[in-house]
Amino acid sequence: MATHSITFHPSNKKNSSTTGSLLTEAVRDAGLDLAQPCGGQGRCGRCAVIVESGNVRRRSTIRLSASDLEAGYALACQAVIEGDAAILIPEQEAVERRLVTDKTARKVEVPFAYDPIRDQTIRAFDLTLDPPTLEDSTDDISRLERALAAQGIFNLDVPLPLLRALGSKLRDAEWNVTAIIETDHWKRNTPRLIDVNPSGLKDPKGLDVYGIAIDIGTTTVSVYLVNLITGEAIDTAAEYNGQINRGEDVISRIIYANKNGGLSELGNLVRKTINDVIDRLASRNHVDRKQIYKATVSGNTTMMHLFAGLPPASIRLTPYIPIVNHPAPLLAADLDLNIHPLATVDLLPSVASYVGADITAGVLASGLSEADELTLFIDVGTNGEMVLGTKDWFVTCACSAGPAFEGAGVVCGMRATRGAIEEVWINTQTFEPTYRVIGDVKPKGICGSGLISLVAELFITGVVDKGGNFIVGAGLAPALARRVREGEHGGEYVVAWANETDMARDIVITKVDIDNLMRAKAAIYAGFTVLAQSVGVDLADVQKLLVGGSFGKYINVEKAVQIGLLPDMQWERFNFLGNTSVLGAYMALLSRDARSKIKAIAEKMTYIELSADNTFYDSFTSALFLPHTDMTKFPSVEAIWDNKEKQEVW
Amino acid sequence: MPTVEIPKEKWNGKVREVKIGATKEEGGSRTKTITIGGEATLPFLHFENTIPHAPALAIEIKDRKPADWSPLLYEAWGDAMNDPAAWAKAAEASGADLIVLTLSVATKPDEAKATVRKVLNATGLPLAVFGPGQAEKDNELIVPVAEEAKGEKLLIGVCEDKNYRTIVAAAMANDHLVTSKTPMDVNLAKQLVILIHDMGMPLERIVMDPTTGALGYGIEYGYSVMERLRLAALQGDSMTQQPMIVTPGEEAWKAKESKVGEGVPESWGEWKKRAIYWETLTATPLIHAGADVVVLRHPESLKKVKGMINALMSKGN
Repeated sequence: MATHSITFHPSNKKNSSTTGSLLTEAVRDAGLDLAQPCGGQGRCGRCAVIVESGNVRRRSTIRLSASDLEAGYALACQAVIEGDAAILIPEQEAVERRLVTDKTARKVEVPFAYDPIRDQTIRAFDLTLDPPTLEDSTDDISRLERALAAQGIFNLDVPLPLLRALGSKLRDAEWNVTAIIETDHWKRNTPRLIDVNPSGLKDPKGLDVYGIAIDIGTTTVSVYLVNLITGEAIDTAAEYNGQINRGEDVISRIIYANKNGGLSELGNLVRKTINDVIDRLASRNHVDRKQIYKATVSGNTTMMHLFAGLPPASIRLTPYIPIVNHPAPLLAADLDLNIHPLATVDLLPSVASYVGADITAGVLASGLSEADELTLFIDVGTNGEMVLGTKDWFVTCACSAGPAFEGAGVVCGMRATRGAIEEVWINTQTFEPTYRVIGDVKPKGICGSGLISLVAELFITGVVDKGGNFIVGAGLAPALARRVREGEHGGEYVVAWANETDMARDIVITKVDIDNLMRAKAAIYAGFTVLAQSVGVDLADVQKLLVGGSFGKYINVEKAVQIGLLPDMQWERFNFLGNTSVLGAYMALLSRDARSKIKAIAEKMTYIELSADNTFYDSFTSALFLPHTDMTKFPSVEAIWDNKEKQEVW
Repeated sequence: MPTVEIPKEKWNGKVREVKIGATKEEGGSRTKTITIGGEATLPFLHFENTIPHAPALAIEIKDRKPADWSPLLYEAWGDAMNDPAAWAKAAEASGADLIVLTLSVATKPDEAKATVRKVLNATGLPLAVFGPGQAEKDNELIVPVAEEAKGEKLLIGVCEDKNYRTIVAAAMANDHLVTSKTPMDVNLAKQLVILIHDMGMPLERIVMDPTTGALGYGIEYGYSVMERLRLAALQGDSMTQQPMIVTPGEEAWKAKESKVGEGVPESWGEWKKRAIYWETLTATPLIHAGADVVVLRHPESLKKVKGMINALMSKGN
């Protein structure tokens, strides 16, 4: 058989290989090292090399984009040698980075060309008032009104607490003030005075005007701190909702709220969570909390009720009616928010008990409300909500998925922050995992995207069966027996040994965790399946699939398809948007136009009640399998599976 | 007389044929084997397509005399209940097509092996052997039984979604068949067949037990699930095309209506008659839902059900 000379750069090591051998073999024989976390299956893309000259036959290019191919990339484990070639092995770290770029958290950008004068309802007016004299004896308030009238502000409403302080504020500032005014909101056209600050004299930052966008998730609370002059989200932070220990889903929270004192306790817990996050954002950005003059709040209907202290009991009982879908704006002081006490708190509109502002805001943020082609928007959270439609119509439904995708309710789960395992590969032969940790530190736990990729890998490599059961017992491959063991909660797979972690204990995924994840993904899959059926649409006709959720930015499509969370369609059709609820709240915070669009979306949305639909349960149990009981719905996964059957790893 | 064109459904799929038991030539010791399944239409619609095998009737026997069965069953089987071999013989004499032997929780693996051997010696009928339905105990008893009866093509169980690997592995290694038992749900039934098949078990050696309830105790759920499974099978859904076994005897004899004769309203009528009807009328609807094997307990019920089957299989002649 013909032999060929292969030269590796940058080491300049050479090797002679026979026709038909794999590049990975040549690399090994040349004494070089190339990571293959997936065990040489062409699945992980970590062994990408650049073919500088000569040619190789690429058996699989699943991990390479068109531009990668043009740049000469090949997966060493899938590259068959057919002639002399020169191969560049990139620095391993560089490869990592290339894989990472598509999923690094995008910086939040100002979502449109922002013009505060046109868009913003909170305005700061620099005013120089004429000091009163014996000749000009107008009262203080008229003096202020006169100056504002010159700027086009009439009929000013001055709240009593501010009126009480007005005299000294004006005099202390020697009549050079910045008036913070809410010019209008969706329910009122007259301006309201929020505060009067000394103009720039003492504090150079005194002119800045801030707002916050808040998403109250059942599991996670996310907050953006926004400069209302520039429109920029200067920082973002998130924290688990302090109510979690009082029930993991909305139903158990509602039940808890019904107990004596439960409602005020839950309200206090979520407000404390929000205040803690605001404190963190304010202090690390050196912003005075009193300079935050507006908060726009999104969240599901139950979270909104609990936040505002409204009893949510009727949400749970047929015919499932909330107290209010679209409350008028409130004052921060009334809600115990630690921002300016007279700041406006604008709660975004819900559609129904189980389709909240998180969805109306999400529809705006996702762009679904402007879409020409058939689009499915899925918000993966503790409640899975989905909207199907185009710019002309949309239908929506909601289902309970549980907190697993946000890393809660899972033994070693955590939020997607520093120290979280966010991606896992398992070697098909050795069953050893390779994982990537956010922040490149020792792992502390596994976040939602990590769990998705882990379950997909356990399934694809045959560590669990299609029912999600660990394969244990006699005859188990010894390599696998090292990682799979009987734990406190039944079978478990060890992802990281204690000495690799920051926790001094093993990081594992248990059978119970897998069951939780399977129920969560089945609920979501069943939700959009039934939604599509209800309007007579075939999922295959969906042109665009927009995915939101706390993990949305980091999720790996391939893995999400492999576990059957997302439908098996061309990857180009997927678009991951991150937390669309807080993004929509951010847009509404910035612009009254965006705010009125959300209102219009809420009014236009048709809600489908799944509990009234007996096909849901059937779709759910059908989806309670890896990837699905009907494998023909997942041709790409079926192909991998058939391939694996042929290779028969044990 | 005017002729009426009967509309016929065109089905894409049919039920798989499964053969239980092996003769001497086939590596076992059975004098009879039984093939079930193969239907290309719904039950008894002979005008539409072929139904190659009549539904089979099994009698359930226990390895130890049960303590809590209805007095009517003790009356029917008498002393034979003290000895599984004698009981199996009596069951064969009553007209059963196969014997279902259920093992008790108290039984030890060696005892199970010995009992199975005795029963195999006593009857030439194909045999099914089920554990008591507790995962660990099932595995403990069925594995040695499978080894003891290697080559007999027993139908063994109970395989459930959380516990199927051990029994399937034993069946594969020793040339037996398995039942795949799921709690009254179409998807779960299909999923377990997939899991068992994924281990390498040929589909020709899997029988589904979709679980049922007795008349008056949820039979409509069982009926509906079986009917949907069968419709899916005929529509070509491969993983639902396994023949079905159900246990109306066990279910019906749990019902108060058949179990007890005292302290019930007089209007319920004669106890024995009522009890046998209860079992018969639990079994017959399930056969109409597509059951390929029904497991009964009373010989009189078996006779009645067999009469119904014979009449319906005779295609109106």
